[in-house]
Amino acid sequence: MGRWIAVTLMLLTGLARAAALPDDPLRSPMWEYNLVRYLGDEAQVVIDDRVALKVPGFAEDSAQVPLTVDLSAFPGPIRQLVSWVDFNPVPLLFKLTPEAAQPRLIALNFRVQQATAVRVAAQADDGRWHIGSADVDAAGGGCTAPSMTAANPDWQTAFGTIRGGAFSPVPGHTRFKFHTLHPMDSGMVGNVPAFRIDDVRLHDLASDRLLLRMRLAESAAENPMFVFELAGERRAVRLWMRDNNGNLFERELALGEGG
Amino acid sequence: MAASTRLQVRAMVMCLLCLLSAPSLVAARSYGLEATAVADGVWVVEGTTENFSPANGGNIVNTGFIETDAGVVVIDTGPSRRYGEALRALIARHSDQPVTHVLLTHHHPDHVFGNQAFPEHTLYMLPRGRELLARDGPAFAENMYRLVGDWMRGTELVVPPNTLSPGVLTVGTRRLRLMAFAGHTGSDLVVLDETSGVLFASDLVFYNRALTTPQTPGLARWAEELQQLRTLPFRVLVPGHGPVSDGGAALAQMADYLSWLDHALTQAARRGLSRSEVMQMAIPERFAAVAGRRYELVRTTTHLYPGYEKAALELLANPEATPGSQ
Repeated sequence: MGRWIAVTLMLLTGLARAAALPDDPLRSPMWEYNLVRYLGDEAQVVIDDRVALKVPGFAEDSAQVPLTVDLSAFPGPIRQLVSWVDFNPVPLLFKLTPEAAQPRLIALNFRVQQATAVRVAAQADDGRWHIGSADVDAAGGGCTAPSMTAANPDWQTAFGTIRGGAFSPVPGHTRFKFHTLHPMDSGMVGNVPAFRIDDVRLHDLASDRLLLRMRLAESAAENPMFVFELAGERRAVRLWMRDNNGNLFERELALGEGG
Repeated sequence: MAASTRLQVRAMVMCLLCLLSAPSLVAARSYGLEATAVADGVWVVEGTTENFSPANGGNIVNTGFIETDAGVVVIDTGPSRRYGEALRALIARHSDQPVTHVLLTHHHPDHVFGNQAFPEHTLYMLPRGRELLARDGPAFAENMYRLVGDWMRGTELVVPPNTLSPGVLTVGTRRLRLMAFAGHTGSDLVVLDETSGVLFASDLVFYNRALTTPQTPGLARWAEELQQLRTLPFRVLVPGHGPVSDGGAALAQMADYLSWLDHALTQAARRGLSRSEVMQMAIPERFAAVAGRRYELVRTTTHLYPGYEKAALELLANPEATPGSQ
C-alpha cells in the first residue's frame, strides 16, 4: 500500500514538474532530463531569444564547433550561465558565475558526438532561468576523436602556450580573447585518461578582484579559444586556469596589447 | 513450343520485376548526364552548383572529355561509380575512340569517385594528389555515403596507378599543357588544350559557386595562382564548378571573392570576433550570384579563421617565469 502511495506521489510530482516546464522549441527528448539535471528540480524556466546562442547549423569539424552566447540584449544582471549539449555523452559544457563583472558575450568551442540540440541557460536576478537553444547537425565523433595535440610529437614543448588579445568592439565594453594549447582529453578515448582544464578565472589585474569564474566540462574542445566580453571598461586582467592534473596557468593581459 | 513457353514465362517474370522495381529506379537513380560541345572535339558535362545531397547524387561538378585521333582524354570522373559509368556511356555516344587517358585534377571526392568505371591503366594524377587521395580517400568515401546515400552504392576508392608530370602531353595530334598548382587542395592539375584553347581550370576556379577551402594552403597562395591562370592563352574556361564561359567574368569574380574573404577574415580577427560571429558576418551584395556562399563561409571559418585568429593574438609570457617578477 505504502509503495503505491509512493509511486502515485512520484507520478504526480512528475506531472507537476512537466506542467511547469515550457515545451522545447527543438523537441529534443533530452529537454526535461537535462533541465532537471543541470538546473535542478525546482528551476523556473522560460524560453528567451535575448539569450542569443550562436552556433553553426552543421559542424564542419565535430571536434571544434564554435559557440557564442550573446547577452547584449538581455536586461539586467545574471547570476549564472550554464551550457550543455543534449546528446553528448557528458552533455555539460560549462557553468559560469559572474563575480565582480557581468559577461556580455562568451565564446568557446565544443565537441559534438552526434547531431544535437545545444542549450544555454542564463539565471536572472529573480532566480528564473532564461534558455536559448540551437540545433547542430554533425557527422559526429567529436568526443571520441583522438587529440590532435597528442598526435604532434612536439606537444609537450608547446603545451600551455597561451596567446591573448584585448579588444573594444563595442565602446565602453572590453573583450578578452585567450587561446591555450592543451589536449583537453575528455577521458573517452581508448586508454587516455581525462586531462583537461576545468577551472578558469578572470581577475581584475589592479585590484585582484575575481571578475568571473567558469567551470569547464567534458564537452569543451581541445586547445580552447575563449572570448570574454565584459560589461564596462576593464583595462587589464589576469587569467588563471587549472587543469585536473594540477597544472596552473596564469597570464596577464591589458587593453592595447594584442588587439 | 516448350522453348516459347519458357520465353513467355520469363517475359512475364521480367514484366513483374519491372513493375515492382521501376518506380524507385526511375525516380531516383539516374544522373541524366549530358555533354555540351565547347569546341571541336571537346565536351563538358556540367553539374549543379548545389551542395552534395541525396537529391543530386553528388552531381555538383564539371567533368569533360577531349577526342583525339589516338583516343579520348577524360578530365575527372565524378562523385560515384554510377556517375563514372554514366560518363563512360556518354563518351561512347560522342566518340568511337577508346578512352586512353583519365586525368584526375585533384583528390576531392566529387572529382575522383567515378574512377572504377575506367580501366585502371588509364588513370593519371599528379604525385602529390595521389598521396592525398590515398590519405584522405577513405574518410571522403565515408562522408559521401553519409551525404548522398544510395547513389554511392558499390563505389570504392581507386588511387590512379600512373603519375603525371607538368609539361606537354601529346595524344594523337592534340597538345595538352599540364600545369601543377596548389591553391585549392595542395595539388591541383590544370589542363590547357592548346589545340582548341579550352582551359580546364578545375577547382582553382569556382564560378557563381562559393569556393571550398578544407585543404587549401592559404587564400593568398590561391589568389596568386589565379593571376597566373589569367596569362594563359585560352578562349574557353571550364571551372570545376559553375558555368563554362570565356573566363573573363569568372576569373574576376573568383579574384574578387578570394580577396574579400582574406580581407574580411583578417579584419574580423583584428576586431577580436568569435568564430560564430564570423560565420554570421555580412557577405557583400555583389556576391549575390555566388551559390552556397553562407554555407561555405561557415566551413571556411572552421578551416581558416583559427589561423587568422592566431596571427592577431600576442604570445603571452608566463609572469611566474619572468626573472625578477617573484
